[in-house]
Amino acid sequence: MSSSILRTAMGLIFPLTLLFAVYMALKGHNQPGGGFIGGLIAAVALVMVRMSHGRDVMASVMPFHPRLLIAGGLAMAGVTGVVPLLFGHPLLTSRAPYVHLLGEAIHVPTALFFDLGVLMVVVGVAAGMIFRLGGEVDPA
Amino acid sequence: MNTDLIILLCVIPLAAGVLNVFLINQRAASRCVSIASFVAVLALSMYFLLYTAPLTGADSVLVSQMGGWKAPFGITMVFDSLSGLLIAAAATVALGSYIHSFSTLDPAVERRYYHPLMQMLLFGVNMSFLTGDLFNLFVAFEVMLMSSYSLLVIGTGMKQMRQAYKYVLLNVLASTIFLMAAGMVYGMFGTLNIADLARIVAEIEADPARSLPTGFTALAVMFLLVFGLKGAFFPLWFWLPDTYYTIPIAVAGLFGGLLTKVGVYTVARLFPLIFASDGAGGISLTIQVILVVAAAFTMFLAVLGAVSQHEVRRILSIHVISQVGYMVFGIAVMSGNALAGCAFYMIQHMVVKCALFLCCGVMEKHAGTDDLDKLGGLLKRDWKLGVLFFIAAMSLVGLPPLSGFFGKMVIIRSGFGEGYWYLGVVGLVTGALTLLSMLKIWSYGYCNPTPKDGYPVQTEPKAVIAGNRPAYFGIAMLVLAALFLGFGAEPVYTVAFKAGEQLENPKAYITAVLGDEAYATAESLAAEHAEIQVDSVQGSPATTDVRTDERAGSPVLAEVATHAPAEVSP
Repeated sequence: MSSSILRTAMGLIFPLTLLFAVYMALKGHNQPGGGFIGGLIAAVALVMVRMSHGRDVMASVMPFHPRLLIAGGLAMAGVTGVVPLLFGHPLLTSRAPYVHLLGEAIHVPTALFFDLGVLMVVVGVAAGMIFRLGGEVDPA
Repeated sequence: MNTDLIILLCVIPLAAGVLNVFLINQRAASRCVSIASFVAVLALSMYFLLYTAPLTGADSVLVSQMGGWKAPFGITMVFDSLSGLLIAAAATVALGSYIHSFSTLDPAVERRYYHPLMQMLLFGVNMSFLTGDLFNLFVAFEVMLMSSYSLLVIGTGMKQMRQAYKYVLLNVLASTIFLMAAGMVYGMFGTLNIADLARIVAEIEADPARSLPTGFTALAVMFLLVFGLKGAFFPLWFWLPDTYYTIPIAVAGLFGGLLTKVGVYTVARLFPLIFASDGAGGISLTIQVILVVAAAFTMFLAVLGAVSQHEVRRILSIHVISQVGYMVFGIAVMSGNALAGCAFYMIQHMVVKCALFLCCGVMEKHAGTDDLDKLGGLLKRDWKLGVLFFIAAMSLVGLPPLSGFFGKMVIIRSGFGEGYWYLGVVGLVTGALTLLSMLKIWSYGYCNPTPKDGYPVQTEPKAVIAGNRPAYFGIAMLVLAALFLGFGAEPVYTVAFKAGEQLENPKAYITAVLGDEAYATAESLAAEHAEIQVDSVQGSPATTDVRTDERAGSPVLAEVATHAPAEVSP
């Protein structure tokens, strides 16, 4: 599909969608949202890039195999879960300290990293599907 | 010891799986990581088993509350003797078939995601064995099934795809029913924690004024349907022979050993504890009849099927079903000894069945086929394989002093002892027919002369043997494990009897998960009622008072009281 209107608009839509994805992922700790939903929104951004610009641009937006994103996300979530074990707490125990930055107290729960891991897995799975369905995986 | 470490049994395979994704296409590194993971899981589960062996009561059940959320509100992981035995056996089987796959798996299949998928399969299986929560059990099943779907279709032809489609469809259906049933459990009891459910059921049993929620038996039957489908009970076994017939042999060995046992395990875990209850301290007649019928037909009809087959793979896969029948037999009797026999039989069957499938893999390497009409003379070609196969086959049949004997002996004896003589008779006949079908493979495949015009594929015996060293190693490892289970049955049975006792008497399990006061309520209720009956005070009003008092004392109970709308008084 080649539409110059969509292509032009993507310059605005793509960064906004990604920003919204990050926003949803971050607010998920206390409100509706979270890594899974954020990941889905980011995946939508990728789908739209693929539709408007084609495979070459898609490949330059994401210049590595999606499986790395999946495994990386799983590793990040896994490490977040395992670290409490080292301190004698059960798996997945979460701490929620406040970090003081520029005079603001920012709530940084350790579950955030777990959520980011989930986000990476979701984006990775979605991107992998897009690549596959587009028939653009290296023939191997 | 920090009991939170039991979760490592799940974390290690998960971590190895993730690492293997990064190491994709690097065969040597992937293999090292995977073997290290399997060995670590095996060693850890052995360590936990040895650690809990001398302990009794609630101490012998290791519990970890995920994220520090107390049961029944969070997810609980529970390690008791039954889970320990099964995890150790699962790791052994996975290790054996994995090493076997080095020489029998097509490199094109191995190159992609075979290594991570094996780890994720073990992750799902271990989590099913460890979890103390029904919904988490569903998640663990899904992890296991997703990996098994992928392992089924990896590097496939049309035939394999067709069977995989059937398998996926059936399992998706079963998972949906599982989810519905779990939702119904939550609606009835307001909890999904297995220990908490067992506590509520025990309280209802102890209190004549209360009865189980309406539809409890229907719920139990729904669960039996789901787990029966996964475990291949009569009449839900039809998917199994076709599926295992088409997949790579190392994967078939792993599936044949592991997957059905997970279904059997969940029945052994949930039914004596919760779902077989009739609300008055006995066993529900409906469930018992279903289990007895399923056990008898699974044992007998499946072994007839196996005798009638003429291809090694088909004989072996139909035997998986027949052997599951013995385990259901053990569960149907539902005494501590029978459940111990069931636990022992599960682990011995995992090891032995996997070894037999792996032997079949090497037979195919020799002859290019597993059709008994075209086989023969294998004993002369390769006597080592013959010895390994013979030991494994006789272990399966249950010739003393090999492992199958001890499993069958305990189950069948408890069957006769508890008045299930008809199941015992069926079990003995099935054992004889099992011997017949194993001798069929032995005589046609190994002892008969080599066919005149040779095998369908001409091979050089020495080349095959030299080319399949890892395969022999994997088989030998499993056969050694089977011999250990036979000759070392005593220590293994010490643990198995403990597992049976823990299943029969849930007090240790419940107090370990929920704390001491939770189970005390059920006991004190029973005591109160004994007194009330002695004093011949009239029943209902007094009992209600006692109950409300007890409840006010415990926050957990208060929670349940608000969440359980379906308690119906008769």
